[in-house]
Amino acid sequence: MKRPIRIQNLGGAQALILHRPHPTVAALTRQLAAIGLEVMQAWPEVGAQALAMDFVFFDADMGHDEMFPWPIRQPPMPMIALIGSEAPGRIEWSLQAGAHAQLLKPVGDNGAYSALLIARDAFDAQKSLSAEIADLRRRLNERQTVVRAVTLLSARGKTEAEAYAQLRQMAMAWRISFEDAAGRIVGGSDSEGGGGGKRDRG
Amino acid sequence: MTKTRRIGLGILYSLSGNYSLISEACRTGALSAIAAINAEPDLDLQFTAVERDPKGNVDLYGPMCEEILRDCGANHVVGCVTSWSRKEVIPTLEKHGGSLWYAVPYEGFEASDHVVYTHACPNQHLLPLLNWALPQFGPRGFLTGSNYIWGWEMNRLARERITLAGGEVLGERYLPLGSTEIDRMIDEIQMTRPDFVLNSLIGPSSYAFMQAYRVLGLTDQHFRPKRCPILSCNLTECELPALGAAAEGLIAAGPYFRGVPAGPRKRDFGSSHEAAAFASVMEIARLLAHRPGAEHFTLAKLLAEYSGAAGIIDLETHHTVLPVIIAQVRDGVFQPLKRLENVAGDPYLTRGRNFPTAPILRVVS
Repeated sequence: MKRPIRIQNLGGAQALILHRPHPTVAALTRQLAAIGLEVMQAWPEVGAQALAMDFVFFDADMGHDEMFPWPIRQPPMPMIALIGSEAPGRIEWSLQAGAHAQLLKPVGDNGAYSALLIARDAFDAQKSLSAEIADLRRRLNERQTVVRAVTLLSARGKTEAEAYAQLRQMAMAWRISFEDAAGRIVGGSDSEGGGGGKRDRG
Repeated sequence: MTKTRRIGLGILYSLSGNYSLISEACRTGALSAIAAINAEPDLDLQFTAVERDPKGNVDLYGPMCEEILRDCGANHVVGCVTSWSRKEVIPTLEKHGGSLWYAVPYEGFEASDHVVYTHACPNQHLLPLLNWALPQFGPRGFLTGSNYIWGWEMNRLARERITLAGGEVLGERYLPLGSTEIDRMIDEIQMTRPDFVLNSLIGPSSYAFMQAYRVLGLTDQHFRPKRCPILSCNLTECELPALGAAAEGLIAAGPYFRGVPAGPRKRDFGSSHEAAAFASVMEIARLLAHRPGAEHFTLAKLLAEYSGAAGIIDLETHHTVLPVIIAQVRDGVFQPLKRLENVAGDPYLTRGRNFPTAPILRVVS
């Protein structure tokens, strides 16, 4: 499905440039300020302030894993690689660091705006795909719970199809997912049997 | 004071081709400002126009800009009408440390370190125009444009704003640059019966469209300016001769219209194009006057050191603060309908000074 890209709300966004002081930083800062962002620069270390940023530009030439205060590959915001040397090893590292877009050095008069939009779109897409995959994975893991719930319901004299339909109706009535409804049935049965507390993943 | 400094000033306009009327208006503004500066006895400088005419051929802009900067020693160029030609000269400006003064309305989303934008961008034309027009005429628009960045971006923004306001885009049609085959566009407008038409066509396409729309209005009252006007952000007095009677009722937004008091000099201009080019040259003169050697500075250095409180250029965006005037052609003359003062150019629409379009409230029966 085509998602409209978010364009309007860059004003006042915060960008961090992880790069040693250099004309590239000055040129990039000028571009970002013209677009309406607040810009900070840090090198070589960056503190927890980085976590509050909306965008991070990082030096792909001299960067290393330890420079980011988050687990590698899991940046909490869109990341843009500043690439000088287009050596495969550095591009590989930039991708591992989680680059969503890139700008070639030396940075001149333009390029920052499209990098911002492309990085944010890629970041959003990645985030929503990750959430979707996590949800699907969880539901897949709950298959066994569903089977157990249907077995429990059909043990009260229902056919399997009826038990299945009943479970679906319960999920709708509780406004929770099918798998979560199954979890409640199984959890209820477990606690009746003196097991652990009620599990509710709603 | 003797005029001890002769400074070359590039003029890069196409005097033939699709948009020559706009070029001529800009050129007139630039040349009359040069004449005014040269006649000013208190200034130590004299401008010499270094002119090149790319004749509407976009591939000639880069090389001709290079000639001006490299061979003629000029550092400032007033020129370019289309965004395409502006993008073509920017690498040349970067290479030689030159500056372009761009004096026509454009679609925004640019802030080059080597360009000054002295005419309006969308928060100074399209957005206030829609904000005013939607409650007046209704929220259902038809969008037209030339197949080119100006039309595409104007219509994208218009669609966004119309939709945000609860309105509807009934159609969006483009013509190749220079094409006058407007029949299908006119048919679709007649079928969809919008409340207004946004015209982002350029040159001959625009003229043909306006003429056909006027004819449509003769047979169907709905398509007269009172009920369903044409809105434009790029038509000014300089193209009225090409439009003739078809311009009647046209509503346009711009920073200036003929006869409207403009700036501290209270000078009258033929159009906003002329006024913006004039203002460009005057600002160059203000920045360079009594500062020998400043003519060799890059734009960034010049602005950082000398712009000062009287400067008209925003140091971050290189855009200017302009009034927004919405005017309608009546008896062949633009008559102002609404005026907003001191709207700063916001090329990326990020500075929060935009006009949120009020939602259109409808009576539910």
